[in-house]
Order: sequence, then C-alpha cells, then structure tokens
Amino acid sequence: MKRLDAILEAAPGLIDGAADLPALASVEAELLGKSSVVGELRRGMGKLDPEQRPVVGAKLQEAADQLKTQVARRREVLEMAAERELLISDRLDLTLDAWVPTVGTRHLITQVIEEVTDIFLGLGYVVADGPEVENVWYNFDALNTPDWHPSRLESDTLYVEYRERDDVLMRVHTSPVQARYMEANDPPVYIIAPGRTFRTDTWDATHSPSFHQIEGLVVDEHITFSDLKGTLIHFVHEFFGPDTEVQFNPHFFPFTEPSAELHVKLDGTWLEMLGCGVVDPDVLVNVGYDPDKYSGFAFGMGVERLAMPKYGIKDIRRFYENDLRVLRQFP
Amino acid sequence: MRASLRWLREFVDIPETDPDKLAHVLLMLGLEVESIDRYEARFTGVEVGRVASIRPHPDADKIRLATVERASGSQEVVCGAWNFGEGDLIALAVDGAVLPGGFEIGAREIRGVVSHGMICSERELDLGDDHEGILVLDESFEIGDNFAEVIGLPDVVFDIDVTSNRPDAMSIHGIARELSAYYQVPIRYPDHDLGGVVGTSDVNVTIEAPDGCPRFVAQEMTNVTLARSPFAVRQRLRMLGVRPISNAVDVTNYVMFELGQPLHAFDADRVAGKSITVRRAAAGERLTTLDGVERTLVEGDLLVCDADGPSALGAVMGGAQSEVNEETTSVIIEGAAWHAPTVLHTSKRLGLRSEASARFERGVDPNLPPSAVARAARLLMDWAGAVPVGQPVDVYPIEVTPWTVDLPRGEPERLLGVQFDDATIVDYLERFGLATIGGEPLVVTIPTFRPDLTRTADLVEELARLHGYEKFPETVPVGPGGGLTAGQIAERRLRATMQGVGFNEAQVSSFVGPEEITMFGDPIETAVRITNPLREEEGYLRTSLLPGLLRSVAFNQGYGQSDVALYELGRVFRQELSPEFEDLPDQPRRLAFAAVGNPRSFGLAAPDVPVDGHFAAGVARSLLAGNLTGAIRSSSELINIEGSGLHPSRGAEVVVDGLPIGQVGELHPRIGRRLGIEGRVIIGELDLAPFVSVQADHHFVEPSTQPPVIFDLAFELDRDTPGGCLIAALHGAGVAELESATIFDEFSAGPLAEAGRKSVAARVVLRRRGSTLSDEDTVPLRQRLIEHVEASCDARLRGT
Repeated sequence: MKRLDAILEAAPGLIDGAADLPALASVEAELLGKSSVVGELRRGMGKLDPEQRPVVGAKLQEAADQLKTQVARRREVLEMAAERELLISDRLDLTLDAWVPTVGTRHLITQVIEEVTDIFLGLGYVVADGPEVENVWYNFDALNTPDWHPSRLESDTLYVEYRERDDVLMRVHTSPVQARYMEANDPPVYIIAPGRTFRTDTWDATHSPSFHQIEGLVVDEHITFSDLKGTLIHFVHEFFGPDTEVQFNPHFFPFTEPSAELHVKLDGTWLEMLGCGVVDPDVLVNVGYDPDKYSGFAFGMGVERLAMPKYGIKDIRRFYENDLRVLRQFP
Repeated sequence: MRASLRWLREFVDIPETDPDKLAHVLLMLGLEVESIDRYEARFTGVEVGRVASIRPHPDADKIRLATVERASGSQEVVCGAWNFGEGDLIALAVDGAVLPGGFEIGAREIRGVVSHGMICSERELDLGDDHEGILVLDESFEIGDNFAEVIGLPDVVFDIDVTSNRPDAMSIHGIARELSAYYQVPIRYPDHDLGGVVGTSDVNVTIEAPDGCPRFVAQEMTNVTLARSPFAVRQRLRMLGVRPISNAVDVTNYVMFELGQPLHAFDADRVAGKSITVRRAAAGERLTTLDGVERTLVEGDLLVCDADGPSALGAVMGGAQSEVNEETTSVIIEGAAWHAPTVLHTSKRLGLRSEASARFERGVDPNLPPSAVARAARLLMDWAGAVPVGQPVDVYPIEVTPWTVDLPRGEPERLLGVQFDDATIVDYLERFGLATIGGEPLVVTIPTFRPDLTRTADLVEELARLHGYEKFPETVPVGPGGGLTAGQIAERRLRATMQGVGFNEAQVSSFVGPEEITMFGDPIETAVRITNPLREEEGYLRTSLLPGLLRSVAFNQGYGQSDVALYELGRVFRQELSPEFEDLPDQPRRLAFAAVGNPRSFGLAAPDVPVDGHFAAGVARSLLAGNLTGAIRSSSELINIEGSGLHPSRGAEVVVDGLPIGQVGELHPRIGRRLGIEGRVIIGELDLAPFVSVQADHHFVEPSTQPPVIFDLAFELDRDTPGGCLIAALHGAGVAELESATIFDEFSAGPLAEAGRKSVAARVVLRRRGSTLSDEDTVPLRQRLIEHVEASCDARLRGT
C-alpha cells in the first residue's frame, strides 16, 4: 500500500507533465494500465484475506478514480489547446471586405416623406393620394384660382396633349388632392398627401421641373387659425428639433383666407418653409361642404426644401442624379 | 416693390427707428421685406454753396478761382471745371471734409494760390457717373444745407415682396397707410394742388373698350422746360432702381412709386389731332414701342391711338412716335385704369414686364388716376416750370364705388380661435380705412383701393393681420386616425425588400425624350406629350421607369462607379384612359430596378462575378416571396420570353395569379452600348398593383414535427426546355408530402450537348404531417414525382 501512496503522490506531476495528448495517453497507461501499480494491486486482490478485501478494494477504487479524474482534467486542457492551435492556423483577416451582403438605401426624399407622414399619422391623419397628370378643375378651379391667374399660363404650368383637350396638365402642387379627397369623403377630414409636382422650371441649383410636395388638410367643426399654428409648430419641433424657432406671417394664396407663410430659423437664418392658411370658404363650397358649419386649415410644403437645410444640401440636382456617393450617405 | 424709409416718413410718422425692427413689423403685416439696402453718404463735410464770383488763375490757363459764398462768409476755391458760372449753387467740400476713398480735403496751394475746399462732381461724391464737370444744383437747395441731408442720405430701402392680391401696397403711400394703421398715427397726402388753371385743353379722349380701360385721365401741360430732374429726385429714383431720364419722364415714375398709379407722358405735339382713342387691337396690328422694337399684336391687346393710329401699348409700353424727346415743350400726362388680366397676358407674352405692368396686373384703383395725374402735374410745375392747360380730361365709363361686406360678429372667433370684442373689431377695421355700421352682422364699407376684400373671410384676415399672427394661441386638433392602408404598408415593405437585396432607391425626373419612349418598344403614340416642354429631351412623360434609371446608371459609371444597383417606385403615363382617375391618362405605378457590375460587393470571396440575368430573376423572386402570401405567392412564376429591350435569350416574364405583371432579365446589349453603359446590365420593371392591392393571406400552417425525407433527382431533358418546368412538374404531381423542390445543378456537355440535351438536378424534400415517412411510404411517392416530370417535361430520369 505504500506503493499506492507513492503513486498518488507522484501522479499530479506526471499528468501535468504530459505536453500533448499522446504523452498523456502513455502517462495514463503507466498509472492505470494493466502493468501499473494499480493494475498489479487489483490482480493481487484474490490473494488477500476475505475480511481485508473490501477495505483494500475500496481504497484501490478511490485511488483509481482520483487518477482518472486528474487525467481527464488534463485531457480537456490539452484538447482545448490542440483545437485552438488548429483554429489559429485557419485565420481570417476580418478587416478585409470579403463578403458584404450590401444593404441598399431609401432615397432621402422618401425618408423625408415618411418622416413627415409619420408625424401626422401620430396626430390621427390618414395618407391620401392623387394623380400627377391632373385636370384644370382640381389643380386650379376647385382651389379658387381666378381664371386669369398667371400660374395658369403655359409659362408657369406644363400642359399635356390628351384627347384634343386643353384642360389636362401636370399638377403644379399637391393641393388638388384636397379637393379630390373632400369630394369623395365627408368631414371630418385629416389628411396628409405627399407626391410629385411639376413646374416649367429649368434645372439649376434651386429649381427642377419635377419636385415633391406634402399637402396637409384638416376640415372639421370648430377648426381655427390657432389650430393651424399649433399643428405646424408641433410638426416643426418634431422635424427640426424641439427648440426650433418658428414665425407665421400674413401671406396670400387663392385657396386659403387668412393665409400665412411659415418661417423657420435654422442655423441663425430665417428660412421660408411652407405656405398655409384657413381653408377659403369658396374651396369648401366647390367640394360641396357647408362653409358655415365646417372650417379647416391647409398647408403645403416642399420636400426638397425641407430636406436641404436639414441635411445641408445646397443643390436640388443632387436629389435627382442618383449618385451612389449621395444615396449611400442616407441609409 | 422698393420703398425708401425717408419717403415713407413723408407720409407717416413712424416711431420705430431700427430698420430691422421695422422690417419685422412689415413682415407681420404681410409685407415681407426680402432685403434691406442701406444708402449712406460716402462723404462728410459737404455743404451747399453759391458761386459768388469767378476770376482766372494768374498762372494757369486751365483752372479758375471761384469765390464761394457759404452760410458763414465766403472762401476762394481753385476749380478745373468750366460748366458753371457765377450765381450757381454747388456742392462744396469744405476744409476737413472726407470724400469717398478717404480723400481728405484741406487748404492747399495750387500754383501760388491757396484753395480752400473743393467744388465736387457727381462722381467725386460717388453719386453718379457724371464727371464732365462739377455738380450744378437746382434752386431747391439753399446755401449752408448739409448736402447729404438735402439729397436724402442716409436712407434705407426695403425691398418688399407684395402679394398679388394687394395692388394698394404697390406704392410708398400704400405702405405708409399700412404703417399708419399699425402705429395708429395719421397718414398725410402729397401735394397735388394745381392752383388756378388757365385756358382749355383741346385734348379729346374716347374709350371704345370700357371693359379693357374703365378710366382714362389726361392732363395737358405746356411750357415744359425739359431738363434733368432735381438732384434729390434723381437720387431717390436711382435708389429705387430706376434710371433718371428727364423731368417729364421721371415724374411719371416718381408718382408711380409714390402713389401706385403708373402714368405715361406723351409729347403733346406728336399726338396727332390731340385725339386719344383707347381700343382693343386686331390680330396682326403692329406698333413700334419706345424701345424701338416693332411688336405684332394679337386680338384683345389694348391700344392707345391718336388720329394717325396706334401710339402706345396700353398699360405696357409707350410708342416710339409720341415719346417725349429733346424738343418736347408740351406733354399729355396719362393716368388710366386697365383690365388687369389683359395687361398680364400682353406683358407676359411680349416679355415686357415692368414696374407699371406689375401694378396694373394687380389692378390699380380706378379712383386713383385723377389725384395721381394732379400730383404729377404739380411736380412738373415745380420741376419744369410747366403750366397745366385746362382741367384734366376724365373719361370714366364704368364707375366703381365702394361696396359693403357683412361681418357676422361670431366669425372672427369661429375662424381664428380668439374672441374679439366689438370695440376691437371696429377699431381694427377703421384703422385700415374700413368704415363700419353696427348691428348683426356688422356692415363694412370697403374703399375701392382694396379689391381683395370681398368676403367675410377677407375681413377676418384683416383682423388677424392687425392683431398679429404672433399673438394667436397654439392648439393641436387630433384626427380620428386609421393609420396607413394595407396598400401603403405594402409599399413601404416593397422598399424594404429592395433595400434588403442591396438596391439603392433613385428618384428620376418624369420627363423623357422621344428616343426614351421607344427604347423598350413603346410606340410613340402611346406616350403622353407635353404641350409646352422646356426642352425636346423633356417633351414626353415616361412610359417606363427604366430609361431614367439607366441614365442614372450611366451617370454613376461616369464617376468611376462600376458597380451600381438602383431602383425606383413611381408613376408611368400612357394615352389610355386611367381606370383609377376618371377622364385622365392612365398613370399606373411601377417598380423598376437596374444593376450592373458586382453591386453585391462580394469582394474577395467572389471577385469578378458581375450580375447576370439570374440576378434579375432572383430579385424578382425575392420581391414575390417577400411581398406576396398564400396561393398568390405559390402561383407566381417566371416564364422565359424574348422581351422587347431585353437580351433575346435572357429575359423572363413575371406572372402573378395568371397575369403577366412585368419583365426581368438582361438589357439588350445594343441599348447598353447606346447609353454608354459598360458590362451586363440587369433590369426589371413590375406593376405595383399586385403587391399593393392584393389582400394578404395570412393563413397559419403549423409546421410538421416529423423528420423529412430528402433525395435528389437528376433528369435529362431537351436543352430548350426551361428548368422551371421541372419544378412546376414536381409541384404539380399531386404529392401532398412535397415540402420543397429546388434545382441545384444544370449542365450540358459531351454527348449530352451533342444530342441537344441537358441534365437538370433537383433536391426534393418530403414530409408528412402526423406520422413519419418510412422507406416503403417514400418509394411510390418518389415514383409518382418522376413519372410526372418525365411526362410533363419530356424528361428522363438519369442514372437508372
């Protein structure tokens, strides 16, 4: 038994001394194999007194278990080291762009439209849409534009050749959606209508023949100019930040009365941001609403005009060239 | 409209001294100041003096010595100019004066004579270009006047953007009237008293077109001494952006700015028969306007004619024949009211927009001409020694009188959200010159200079304007809600899909040229043409989104970006009648995409693998799988076709629910070359309708917990049979246990190729719900699949 004690004492050194898995296997055979001390003692058990057998057997078993545990622990360490060595040799340099499933982008105009739309969805509005090729009634007449108004001239508005008619045009604003929606729906009306609009402008840094607007319209009982102010200030604070200064001043539009222009102070400069006003009673009459019962407000804003100061874009053409170096700046 | 602050102050005492704050007040009245120009004298120490005597310089021929009388004593000044004489008033820079450029004036010796100060020219004072001689002043100046002050410096000019509904605000006096309302101070009217009038005028005015010219006032003035206008007047006109010409012409501009009434001065002796007739032009009539251009008129243009024929284009421009010239001694001052829309159309058509047309377009008050003409006559008396010939001739066929508008007392609160008491309402309106009669409703009398006030809402705006938009409270009404519609949500999801598969959203102009219409096989007659395009290459509305997208692809390649993937979601336009918008052209919405190079950026791992038609098909499948549901999704398929604009053997039609919704594939290389795009270009264009108008089918299918049976089947089939036939046949075999079937291999080589055959291999996954598929179960199912493919696709199972 003294030999067993000696083995147990020497074992940790032998086991931890095994540098790799084959070395550990031979240490394991040395300690626990047939020719090991433990093996010899096991074989000699039959020669012992029957009374001594359980005592020695138990001690032997205990020693064997202890050695097995030590070997297993060492084996785990060596296996991990061996695997690590293998993995290290299978190196990938992840600083390289080797496998990039590129995500595309949404156009900044779309992003602005969705951002504005979402602000108004939060106020209980719905989104309305209308045709881009319109007729004179919805684009001008229904909105109270006088017959002789210069905006109707071919110098300002693009007309199209369609079935020998002279009243079909490219809408100059998203306002016709107002009239279309009111004709098709009874109050209350809370809508936001984004879309493409067209003018006889040639391309330069601040003009393009097609651009985008967002129209808003509310018609209900007891809607006032104060509601218009509160709503648009809420919008500006959501879109440009809660501390943005705003200013309303009187203006003129055929389809609102009173009318206002909204200026927003960005980077220390007052910028004209949108036109708005209390819906003109003639517009309500034109769509069959009772102007003595209902009132409302409307506003229209240019999407590019919102985006340019917010993102520091100086030239409207950047929106339409679709240069990937521009598009990828706005994921 | 440019407005000088000093001029405004002639009519109203403005308490505000800070121009920026005044600009804000104007803005809040609806008169937006776009810019503020500050005019300062660029000199100090210049005063008015009189030349008492002149003597020659003892030692120099080209200069003289002038003794100049000042308020305190007199002094001798050496002067090199010869355009003045004894008794003339001049601008004297006294010793210690500083002229523009920091040029200091002091006593100095010139050829032995000490000169005190300097007699100045316009240019030396930076007041004009005249440097022919010194500035000789008119007799309106007095000795000792501070020269800067008497010529109106310093001054501030506001450039005001007057809205189209406010003809009354197109004048200094009109803006002063707004400020008088705001500051509650009285308004003054300029002197237009002609005193006693001698003789009778034989000017004869006939209006044949009263709808075009409701009023015509003519004042003949004789004894006109044509000269330059007084210096201060010229200075003022220059600040307002008008070049001074002569007193007789300047007076018309001066009064136009002052009162808003454009005037015209005819040389009275060149108005044949002193007979003036106003009529509409006939088509093709010609008139040479005073800019020397012969104009061809259209029917309806307004003409002022004399006995010999047309002599001026009414309200737009005078004629060359009757223009005031150096020999003019008598003038006829015309002040008329014109039909605003006619003026607008004529001036726009001829490109003759002017300060005058800008006023007439808005509609000048028909009751303004008499006082404006009188004001001009008064000034011409002062400036040119002119004498009025008789009373003005005033022809006024259609008289306009003030009208009334009702204001129910509850309306301001109903529309503005703020309660105004009766006294405030009456006070606000009266400050704007609107008389009120009490009662319910309040009856408000509108002066004829405010044609914009015709309805209750217009009066409500006046109240809001004077109350101040800034003072209204801010309330936020909330609507009934409802959120995005299913179609609107579907549209956002489509964009997300395209973003997910690596495409960048583009925005392309809706206008294209004719060659872009026909590029994908659309006949030009199907396109909608713009009546008045700005450029021929923007003469049509796009019938497809692809040409514009491809233009953007080429643009990117031009900047060295060879890997491009773009898509757009937008409307195209066709001559057919729209099913969506009654009576308008069809304008369906589509989604299109285009890519070239290796836009997926599988750099090191898969270099040099440019996209090809398979990628186009893959994008289409992603769109179908990612945005359709249920039976519609399972029924969608791609069918090889030879599409227009597509590579003839690398194109497919996308079919959803049995209907073709668009095409995908490779761009025909010929088109790519024409557009200057390098490499294989993949494209696709799909109708949006099936994606946004089809109800989603979210019927949940519980996944089976049983293990699958997976095996591969390789078939030999004709090389021209599409591989898709195999998948369709597997799905159509009536094997309910079929979970999926995907093609993983296709080749044609060696004897196969020689026989015109190919091999296509599919991986099949079977799974049964409720019980495990045993080998015995699988054998007949596999057999049924094989038989159906062999029968449907003229195929033969390989390796058997």
